[in-house]
Amino acid sequence: MVKFTVEELRRIMDMKHNIRNMSVIAHVDHGKSTLTDSLVAAAGIIAQEVAGDVRMTDTRQDEAERGITIKSTGISLYYEMSDESLKNYKGERNGNEYLINLIDSPGHVDFSSEVTAALRITDGALVVVDCVEGVCVQTETVLRQALGERIRPVLTVNKMDRCFLELQVEGEEAYQTFLRVIENANVIMATYEDPLLGDVQVYPEKGTVAFSAGLHGWAFTLTNFAKMYATKFGVDEAKMMERLWGENYFDPTTKKWTSKHTGSPTCKRGFVQFCYEPIKQIISTCMNDQKDKLWPMLQKLGVTMKSDEKELVGKALMKRVMQTWLPASNALLEMMIFHLPSPSKAQKYRVENLYEGPLDDIYATAIRNCDPEGPLMLYVSKMIPASDKGRFFAFGRVFSGRVATGMKVRIMGPNYVPGQKKDLYVKSVQRTVIWMGKKQESVEDVPCGNTVAMVGLDQYITKNATLTNEKEVDAHPIRAMKFSVSPVVRVAVQCKVASDLPKLVEGLKRLAKSDPMVVCAIEESGEHIVAGAGELHLEICLKDLQEDFMGGAEIVVSDPVVSFRETVLEKSCRTVMSKSPNKHNRLYMEARPMEDGLAEAIDEGRIGPRDDPKVRAKILSEEFGWDKDLAKKIWCFGPETTGPNMVVDMCKGVQYLNEIKDSVVAGFQWASKEGALAEENMRAICFEVCDVVLHADAIHRGGGQVIPTARRVIYASQLTAKPRLLEPVYLVEIQAPEQALGGIYGVLNQKRGHVFEELQRPGTPLYNIKAYLPVIESFGFSSTLRAATSGQAFPQCVFDHWDMMSSDPLEPGTQAAQLVSDIRKRKGLKEQMTPLSEYEDKL
Amino acid sequence: MDFESNYEISRTADFIRTRNFTKVALQFPDELLKESTRVAKALRNELGKGVRLYVMADAAYGSCCVDEIGASHVDADCVVHYGHACMSPTSTLLALFVFGKASIDVNACAKSLRHCLSTANKPILVLYGLEYAHALENLKTVVAELLQLSVSNSGVHFAEVACSSINPSGDKMTDKKQLYSHNGVSDNEEVHKYEDGNTSLISVNCNTLEPCTKYSLGGLIWTMPVGHKMEDYLLLWIGSENPAFTNVVLTFNNCEIVRYDAEESNLLKDFADQRRILKRRYYLVEKAKDANIVGILVGTLGVAGYLRIIQQMKELIEGAGKKSYTLVMGRPNSAKLANFLECDVFVYVSCAQTALLDSKEFLAPVITPFEAVLAFSRGSKWTGEYVINFQDLTASTTSDVVNDTEEARFSFIQGGYVEDIRPLENGGEHKETSLALAEATEKALNLQNQCTDSVLFKGKATSGAEFFAARSFQGLNMQYENPLPQSYVIGRTGRASGYEDEK
Repeated sequence: MVKFTVEELRRIMDMKHNIRNMSVIAHVDHGKSTLTDSLVAAAGIIAQEVAGDVRMTDTRQDEAERGITIKSTGISLYYEMSDESLKNYKGERNGNEYLINLIDSPGHVDFSSEVTAALRITDGALVVVDCVEGVCVQTETVLRQALGERIRPVLTVNKMDRCFLELQVEGEEAYQTFLRVIENANVIMATYEDPLLGDVQVYPEKGTVAFSAGLHGWAFTLTNFAKMYATKFGVDEAKMMERLWGENYFDPTTKKWTSKHTGSPTCKRGFVQFCYEPIKQIISTCMNDQKDKLWPMLQKLGVTMKSDEKELVGKALMKRVMQTWLPASNALLEMMIFHLPSPSKAQKYRVENLYEGPLDDIYATAIRNCDPEGPLMLYVSKMIPASDKGRFFAFGRVFSGRVATGMKVRIMGPNYVPGQKKDLYVKSVQRTVIWMGKKQESVEDVPCGNTVAMVGLDQYITKNATLTNEKEVDAHPIRAMKFSVSPVVRVAVQCKVASDLPKLVEGLKRLAKSDPMVVCAIEESGEHIVAGAGELHLEICLKDLQEDFMGGAEIVVSDPVVSFRETVLEKSCRTVMSKSPNKHNRLYMEARPMEDGLAEAIDEGRIGPRDDPKVRAKILSEEFGWDKDLAKKIWCFGPETTGPNMVVDMCKGVQYLNEIKDSVVAGFQWASKEGALAEENMRAICFEVCDVVLHADAIHRGGGQVIPTARRVIYASQLTAKPRLLEPVYLVEIQAPEQALGGIYGVLNQKRGHVFEELQRPGTPLYNIKAYLPVIESFGFSSTLRAATSGQAFPQCVFDHWDMMSSDPLEPGTQAAQLVSDIRKRKGLKEQMTPLSEYEDKL
Repeated sequence: MDFESNYEISRTADFIRTRNFTKVALQFPDELLKESTRVAKALRNELGKGVRLYVMADAAYGSCCVDEIGASHVDADCVVHYGHACMSPTSTLLALFVFGKASIDVNACAKSLRHCLSTANKPILVLYGLEYAHALENLKTVVAELLQLSVSNSGVHFAEVACSSINPSGDKMTDKKQLYSHNGVSDNEEVHKYEDGNTSLISVNCNTLEPCTKYSLGGLIWTMPVGHKMEDYLLLWIGSENPAFTNVVLTFNNCEIVRYDAEESNLLKDFADQRRILKRRYYLVEKAKDANIVGILVGTLGVAGYLRIIQQMKELIEGAGKKSYTLVMGRPNSAKLANFLECDVFVYVSCAQTALLDSKEFLAPVITPFEAVLAFSRGSKWTGEYVINFQDLTASTTSDVVNDTEEARFSFIQGGYVEDIRPLENGGEHKETSLALAEATEKALNLQNQCTDSVLFKGKATSGAEFFAARSFQGLNMQYENPLPQSYVIGRTGRASGYEDEK
């Protein structure tokens, strides 16, 4: 069945100009996996007839059931191109054989960490956009991610079949829709101007945009049609292509091209006249079973059908005809081979993004030149669970050198610091493996420019790592990946049978390894926590945990838990004071909320503990209106020394103050991690040390006296500054037809959400709604929404910001007070908050 | 209850007289201190002038332990310990325990017991606070009457008080001590000598009849036929919710447990708090795994074998590639512990009933030696078993931990895999020499360029010296802007709770 052998595949791997590493990225349900199928089919791994239905790259059972992709799946494909089709290819090549290492990625926002991992190891991206729905929020996100990694994109406008069958739009209208899709995508891409990457925008007339119908397995680029008509009109292909897009009109009666619509009814846009209409005609003829008309038409197009295929009727016939006439694989492959870079080309400009070390050392040079004889540089971007439970393949990309079975490699983990022994192992690769469809094939070695899976390293690689040769001790690691989503939804898990605890612990470790985004942690109360990017992500993780990593041992999962933040509304109403246990030292403090945007600036790392004080002072005084001198007196950030709270020294002329600084900071780190309300992290609070009275003897003002006091006075100042809770809020994007809007608004209102943008997509009956929704209300939101709109609305939720809850948690009976007491109960704390009098001392 | 019998004056006098002791220390917990003069007077009346009695109170550690150091200040021959006791073996002195006699409604208790027996379809094991030991015989008879069966085959088993006096288990004795048994519970039978037939000398004749497993916990001992597991029994605890009870709940965390509150005369079944303690301890163990510097807190100077366990802890910690410091600070409190900011975790070596120290006020967690073993030996897993008494630990921690895996350790605190500092391969070079400190400081100074915050506040320091080097305050700075001496100012006067200028 498979048209190619491992030997063939292995042979092309050495031809670095004939390799394309690409990922397929898109919004959820825009047809990535389906489109991938037709490419896989062309390689002969699955039958052409079932392409579009199999979803080859959805290897997991739950993926198949839900009809969504969850994990990114790699597949290596081999194609032999004809000389004819390659005659216009200007780049370097070695023969006509090509190797495509393709990675199908999930489109749901919850799994965008998978996309990040896929992008790192590829050089090009096929961006799939639904021609009706257009560019959606996730299209935008993944495009940004891709461009950030210097991945060159090509676009395909997918689900063309909807235009013909479902919506039955006219040529000009369809053209406008496509144009808008492409323009929208280009707007995003244009913001990522990168001199090294060059122009990344896509143009149909240059062949970087394809039009496809993944479900039916056909696609075309303007190149296809240009070739067809070039001879007919006697112009060259390039010229023809330009005529087939944009403001070029053709009037068959006058046989003239114009750049404006002449007004004559027969005058039509080039694209409509020569691409859209013929397809439309063929499709309608097929659908109406007008076979007598069909055969001559096909003959004219040079399409020959097999005799048994001629028996088909309706949709099946249409599918078959279109597949034969405009096979998706041809158009898409040609686009990839022509317009996506080969590893050797891509690594020239990607090396800057990838390599952490000096860009002139031998490793950088080897990556830049994609040198198979150079030192090994390999980045492992994800761990793929193997069939034997608990083991993993390390999946990654060889950037230079080659990796071989049995080779000893240096494994540099994410915490590795060059020159130190931390997070560093030397181990040998048991086996190198390449993916061919659903099965893996062992190969002797894999040279640079290819993706590879390795066996035997899973114990030493946590999530990702850089591998080099054993002896290359001065190599720096490849830069770690940044993820665009953060885990905000958490559940507590415990095993049903207490003695299964070791299994649970082991399972959680495995889970953490298999997914780059999930966080497995433990709460102060001793509960195991699994945190994910969203409800769906969490659901999948828990399923994996129970079935794959714990051998089916039963687990009990709590309701989803959302973490809150504690902040203050105003400046403390008075300066509060706390005394040390020996009563000899006093700290005076006030709390105040941070200026708007400051906490976010700290989150983003624009302001942080490692800044040059002068630079920091400049930003603080210019953007946030701080006094310049004050900006230099920031003692620390917290929690974890980097968090969005700080302590500022406002004292004047206090003796020994420097001596207790570390102790106060330690107390602050502690207190800011566990706020006074519900022991949630604090956020956006600035604590000002107003005055300090210290005992004259150093022994009486040691850490033991000052640390607990600092903690108490911080709590006291928080409680006197109108403490408030912050709740996490999602940005929700929903796309739905007009009749579903009522239902959407209803559900959103009921869930405390509010809509801040409603746009109709031009040319479609679809509306785009953007809303804010508290995370705590989002559980079950998708299903409620689906029910309320009879399945027409599908939301995408991404964490957006922290929102202050207006009610006062100190006032009994309010919503915030209820929340505080719930959290305290869950954490096993006293339900009553510790009163201010416990923290504040009087003279 | 009358004074004479509550404090067992005559028995105590007999005990002293038969052994011809001349100096006897009477140890009282704080709550009984007010009775101490009466007790001493009564004893003196019994014993006459030949015996000198000393009243001791305010023990440095828990009042449940025998304060041997205090007693040796007066060179006492023995200690009479009053009130709640943990029955930890002593290391040098003979001790007699007077538990006191708390009142209990035996009939009500027996009825509750019958109720338990009828609802639970498993045998019941009765455990109790030592202050209720006096009512045991009485209870047994009442229960037997109530069930109209003999106690032995009614499905109700009673634990017995091991002894009411403890002979020091010197080194000779500890060598003999057999610490064994698959579930890590030790048999202290050989340690104690049952000198006093009065209270309850249990018959060990079951040894001869059928093989059985012996259990001992907090001064109670009981036996169980081989093949029976503790989980097969329903535990009934008579007494209040004190550390002794917590120990029972934690040690037998797999068992179903009910508590009979003798003061309220009712049965309680909800022990969410105690269960929560176990989970919390689990968290502390996970947290301890991340520690680089460990403080060993000496929480007892009397309990037999404490020096050995401290040594063992040191070795364990060193073996795990961490740094340990031994601290003697009396009873720990948050202020004392916070003086050692560099310690990421403390291991508290003390008697079983004071072992569980946990407070929101502590900056660093305080764990027991058993938890330390779990935390610091790679590859060991928490299986639910819990040992509080460190004597039970000494033998069971043979280093059978498989060390073949080199996989990075998964830290549940940080939610990811972390790299541990691996134990130094050639430890010989890194002995505690005078140079070691200098080297560590030097290394730490090299780190100065890095952000010291992570060393100071995130437990990244690997030794005390490194921590000190990272501190922002490096001693008084002599280069003041103004080198001229400043004129003197008059300071405050008065007491710290309110200086005179503040009144």
